[in-house]
Amino acid sequence: MDASKKFDLSRLRFFVRELMAPNPDIKLELRTQHFLPNFCEGKMIINLVMIAEMLALVISLVMPVPSIFFSNYFEALFQISIFVQWIALACAAGLCLSRTYLTRLPNHMALITAYLILLLITFLVNECAVWVLWWTGKIASPRPAWYAHLHFQNLSISAIINALMLGYFLTKQELKQRTISEAQAKMQALQSRIRPHFVFNAMNIIASLTRSDPKKAETAIEDMSELFRMMLNEEETLVPVNKEIDVARKYLALEELRLDSRLQVTWDIGKFPRKAIMPILTLQPLLENAITHGVEPLPSGGAVSVTLWEEEDIIKIRITHPAPKQKKKDIGPDIDSALENIKQRFHTYYGDRAKIRWERQDNRFIISVSLPVRDIM
Amino acid sequence: MRILIVDDEKLARDRLRELVNDIGGHTVIGEGRSGNEAVEKAAELNPDILLMDIRMPGMDGLEAAMHLMGMENPPSVIFTTAYDQHALDAFEVNAVDYLLKPIRKDRLANALVKARKLTQKQLKEINEAREEQQERTHISVHMRGNIRLVPVTDICYFLADSKYVVVRTAQEEHLIEDSLVNLEKEFGERYLRIHRNALVARAFINAIEKNPSGSWQVSIKGIDKKLDVSRRHAASVRRWARNKSSD
Repeated sequence: MDASKKFDLSRLRFFVRELMAPNPDIKLELRTQHFLPNFCEGKMIINLVMIAEMLALVISLVMPVPSIFFSNYFEALFQISIFVQWIALACAAGLCLSRTYLTRLPNHMALITAYLILLLITFLVNECAVWVLWWTGKIASPRPAWYAHLHFQNLSISAIINALMLGYFLTKQELKQRTISEAQAKMQALQSRIRPHFVFNAMNIIASLTRSDPKKAETAIEDMSELFRMMLNEEETLVPVNKEIDVARKYLALEELRLDSRLQVTWDIGKFPRKAIMPILTLQPLLENAITHGVEPLPSGGAVSVTLWEEEDIIKIRITHPAPKQKKKDIGPDIDSALENIKQRFHTYYGDRAKIRWERQDNRFIISVSLPVRDIM
Repeated sequence: MRILIVDDEKLARDRLRELVNDIGGHTVIGEGRSGNEAVEKAAELNPDILLMDIRMPGMDGLEAAMHLMGMENPPSVIFTTAYDQHALDAFEVNAVDYLLKPIRKDRLANALVKARKLTQKQLKEINEAREEQQERTHISVHMRGNIRLVPVTDICYFLADSKYVVVRTAQEEHLIEDSLVNLEKEFGERYLRIHRNALVARAFINAIEKNPSGSWQVSIKGIDKKLDVSRRHAASVRRWARNKSSD
C-alpha cells in the first residue's frame, strides 16, 4: 500500500517540486508524505476549525428550538459550536500526538487506527460534556434520561464525518501519487530513448574497427560506455553543463566514425557559471535529431553547428543543420514530432520556463533553446 | 560468386569485404555508397550477389532492388540492416535474405550459400509493411539490356501509348512498362491527370490555354509541345490552376 516507499525519492525530488509547487520545502514533505495531513500545523487546524464551525451551523439549523437544551437559535448555535469545536480540536490533538506512530503503519492500518482514535475522542468529549453540565448544576444527575441518546447521536455523526474526511484524504493522496508516478514513468521513457538504429550501427562500426584500427575501436567502446552510463543513470537527472557537453561530444565522435567525412560539426561554447546545470541528455537528442534529419539523408552529408552561451541566468543553445526536403519518410518520426518530444521533456523539468523553438531558414533548420540556469539542489 | 557491396558507411563496407575474404570462395568486385550507385554498378559489373544496406541517403536499398528486378539477369540480393522492425517482419514472411548489423561471419557465410533471387511481389510487400510507404525517387528505363535511372523530379509528363508509357524529360523520351493508374497512385501529389492518357508534373505546367477550337491545352516548361486536356478533366485542371494562382 505504501507506494511512496517504492519510488526513488532522490530522483523524484526535483521535478515533483516543479510539478506540485515551486516551494523548496515540499521535498522534505514528500519524504514523510502520508495520506493523513499533519494536524500539528496551524494552517491545518484553522481549516479544521472552519469545517467544524460549518458542521455546528448545520446541526443547530436542524435542532428543534426551543428544546430542553436551548431557549433560542443563538444559544443553540453558541453551545453546539463550543461542543463541536471541542471535539474537532481534541481530534486534531489526538492525530497530532499519534502522528509519529500512525505514519509508520501501512495505509490501511493507519486508516483503521485513526478512525478508532477519532471515535474514542468523540466519546470522551461527550462524557466530559455531561460531567461539566452536572458539575455546573445544569442537570440533576450525571446519567440523565437522554444520556444514551446523546452518545448514540454524536458517535453516529462523528462516525460519518470522520469516514468522509479520512476517505477524502486517502483518495487525494492516491491521486497525487499517481500523478507523480505517471510523470516519472514518462520521463524515464523519454530519457531512455536511445535509437536502436544508432546502437547497432555503432556496434557494427566498432566490429569493423577492431581489425583495421584497434586504437580507434578502443576509444569508440569507451565513448559508447560513457553514453550508456548516462542513459542508464537513474540517480542523476541534472548535470553540470560542461558534463553534458562532454557526453554530446562522445556521441558525436561515434557518429563521426560512422558517417566519416559526411558529418562536420562546429562548436562554439561560451563561459558558464560553474553551477549551471541542465537535464541529463539535453544536447545529445538535439544533435541526434540534427544528424538523422539533417545530415544522414544527404549523400554528401552536411555541417551541424552548435552554439552554447549563458545570458542573464539563461542557458542558450542554438543548433543549426541542413534541412533537406522531406521527401522520404523512412527516417523514423519526422523532425517536428521528435522535437515535440524534447519540448515535452523540458516541460517536465522546467514547466513554462524553458523554451524551444525551431524554424526553417533558407536551406537550414535552426533550433533555439533557452533553459534557466539552476543551482544544483 | 562475384559480390557487390553497397552501404553508405565506409567502415560497414570494409567489414563486409573483410568477412567475405575470410569466408573465401567469393570475390568482391565493387562497392557502392547509395541505391543509385548500386543500380549503376550492378548494370555495369553484373554481380551474382548484392550485399546491400536498406537505409541509405538518396535512393534506399529497397528501391534499388526494385530497379534491379528489371535487369535481364538480376543479381541475388542480401539486405543488411541495423534495425527496422517492420521491414524485418516482412523479410521473414517473404523469405527474403537479410543480415543484421553487426554482421556475423557465420550468418554471412550461410546467406551467401543460399542466396536467392528476389521477386517484384516480395519487394512490394516489404515496402507495404514499412511504417511509411514511399514513392520511388527514380524511374528505371531499360536500354539494350542496360538500366538507366531517371530522377522523378526531371520528368515532365507520362503519356500512355497502347502498350507502353512514354516518360518525357526536358531532353529525352523513354518507354516504360507500367500503367498510368499505378503511376498516379504512387506520385499523385506530384502529377496532375489531364487526360485519360496523360499525367503532367505540376511543377512543369507553364500555362493552361484555350485553343481556337474551344478545347483546353497545357503548355509545358522547356518543351515545345502542348498536351490536350480532355473534356472530363478540364474542370479539375482549371480548378487546380485557379488555386495555384491564388496562392
